[in-house]
Amino acid sequence: MGERGFATDGGVGSILGRDDDSTADDDADDSPANASDGTGASEFSGDDLVIGYPNTDEPVIDGESIRVPPGEVTALVGPNGSGKSTLLKGLADQLSLDRGTVRVDGAAVHELGTKRLARKLGLLSQDSTAPNSITVEKLVAHGRYPHRGAFEALTDADWDAIDRAISLAGVDHLRDREVGQLSGGQQQLAWIAMALAQETDVLLLDEPTTFLDLRHQLQVMAIVERLRDESETTVVLVLHDIEQAAQYADHVVALEDGSVSARGPPEAVVTEELLADVFGVDAAVATTDHGPQVTPLRPLDDGDDGDETGGPDGERG
Amino acid sequence: MTEDERASEDGTRSLTERLTPWRARETGANAGLTGRLVRRFAWLDASLLALIFGSTAIVVGAGLVQVSLGAYEMTIGQAWAAVVNPNVLFDPQAWDAFLLGEAVPEMRTESLIVWNIRLPRVLVAVLVGMNLAVSGAVFQAVTRNELASPFILGVSSGAGLAILLTLVAFAGVTLVVPLVVTEITLGLSALLPVIAAVGGIAAFLLVYAIAWKNGTSPVRLVLAGVIVSTVFGSLQTAMFFFADNIGVVQSAIQWTTGSLTGVDWEQVRIAIPWTVFGLALAIASARQLNVLLLGESTAKSLGMRVERMRFGLSAVAVLLAAASIAVAGIVSFVGLIVPHVVRNVVGSDYRKLLIGCLFAGPALLVAADVGARLALSPAQIPVGIVTGLVGGPYFLYLMRRQESLGEI
Repeated sequence: MGERGFATDGGVGSILGRDDDSTADDDADDSPANASDGTGASEFSGDDLVIGYPNTDEPVIDGESIRVPPGEVTALVGPNGSGKSTLLKGLADQLSLDRGTVRVDGAAVHELGTKRLARKLGLLSQDSTAPNSITVEKLVAHGRYPHRGAFEALTDADWDAIDRAISLAGVDHLRDREVGQLSGGQQQLAWIAMALAQETDVLLLDEPTTFLDLRHQLQVMAIVERLRDESETTVVLVLHDIEQAAQYADHVVALEDGSVSARGPPEAVVTEELLADVFGVDAAVATTDHGPQVTPLRPLDDGDDGDETGGPDGERG
Repeated sequence: MTEDERASEDGTRSLTERLTPWRARETGANAGLTGRLVRRFAWLDASLLALIFGSTAIVVGAGLVQVSLGAYEMTIGQAWAAVVNPNVLFDPQAWDAFLLGEAVPEMRTESLIVWNIRLPRVLVAVLVGMNLAVSGAVFQAVTRNELASPFILGVSSGAGLAILLTLVAFAGVTLVVPLVVTEITLGLSALLPVIAAVGGIAAFLLVYAIAWKNGTSPVRLVLAGVIVSTVFGSLQTAMFFFADNIGVVQSAIQWTTGSLTGVDWEQVRIAIPWTVFGLALAIASARQLNVLLLGESTAKSLGMRVERMRFGLSAVAVLLAAASIAVAGIVSFVGLIVPHVVRNVVGSDYRKLLIGCLFAGPALLVAADVGARLALSPAQIPVGIVTGLVGGPYFLYLMRRQESLGEI
């Protein structure tokens, strides 16, 4: 059945109607299937965060606040070493905060029990490894961990969640394959399915598209879009690729040296000034239907980019 | 956004269809109890069953060899008849004697020899094999390293040092244990099993303390284990130097290489409670072990308290290792090889792996003990020497065959 998934159909190549239309159709088709309707999307925010690693003195993130629009897609972008992954780990309670609080729906995450937190907040980290012989289905089933007692078996509700996650991630046809036999892109889809099976209100993804081929990058971003359109999941993702951020995110937060240098909708953040100041590249930015389109031209010399941040449209979040 | 086609990879299927649980569609009306049972026992697959039957056959075969041969002359038929002798098998008094240590009732000489001398040795081998194999498997998940063994966190060196200290430094010391009505005087060497286990557990705690710095990591745990093992190993060798006579040295070597010579029901009684408790905990934790294999940050984001879990699981594994040290000394390689073999057969799902270890561990140890007993008959060599002799070449074979050895 799932074979058709993306093995043969037009997928990326074919042109359907506008996104909004198809979403409306979907909603009409199947309103009860939306995971968390009625309750509204989760508030997720971090205030005055100071985040560092245990073995370094200087915090990487020093006193930043971030407010994530509920039910939307927020992208953290920035050059290497700007602290975007650190910020995500701090938000996910993977790194303990030196100061500040992260709240989900008003509750401080470090005060929630680990399992309760894991039912509200999911994280797909970069350094996940699975034994090669585990099947995709088993891997996805681990996503139900926070919903089960220590010695409980999977309930029918768990299986339903696993099935939903597998089909949302488009890995039906890989269900019984061993993870070790899959390509890197397919493995990433399987990991995403695991995080989806966790059925959290907030989902954090750490560079989900890095190292993937173009097709799998698009598949990953398609899942993110469907999460936004068809459920009320709040998604925060670190993206290496600023063009992807410009294209898919509703809200972009640009980091430089551990501080937020700009935030706002992609059109306001992804500008030639920001690319020069934060990323140190000379680039042309054209406005298109898909959001700002970036054409990188050349790297700026180290002297050029300086440390001063943000254009006039910077700090507006 | 117009990348709509990306938004629906399988656009030809309606959302309803996509969101209807696959299982429900596939199994339809059967999705009830049967479906759930099938899911529940889906892990019991052909390869695991084959492993279980093969291992059991080896245990039974080697066990029969063990009960048939020995100093007391009896035919194989007599020995096997004694094993299934209903007068012993269904005599509660006999079981009281075996399991609770009460007086052994009257029975024929053959039965007495088989049941009281030869069978307990097989049983201890089974228990030790189970403990070491499961303990090794747990440590391999905790450290996420295929080359971990039950003794990787310093347990063997701690136990060995404790044994040597007892035999050499405190040989003359006696303990007086006051009881309500009387008091018992114990030579320290009577407490060797307990001392060995305590030494192992103490070394494990020391390793954990050394490795701890804002939490632990598998690598730091292994390194701390190496540090403690090195220091304790040197101290052990130093103790040998001070040993008075060759008898003490031989006795110490028997402990530190692992031996089943002379074990009887008392050793079974010592090992059984810890074995049952530890194995039950380990098997109940199979899913936690599976999640640990996904990496620390994934386990954490799934809501596991990784640090606590790692310590708890290590403690269970140390308990199992200590129980086996207490009855058989430090039998090397079993806890390293068996999880390996089982993983090659059934894969790395810990539910299957641990169940497989429960059967394959005894198979290796009972078979190795046959070798230990018969290779240089009438002299007996410590079973640890045989497992070491088998284990080395097996690892050579693995190293040649597998390109990446190490990460699970």
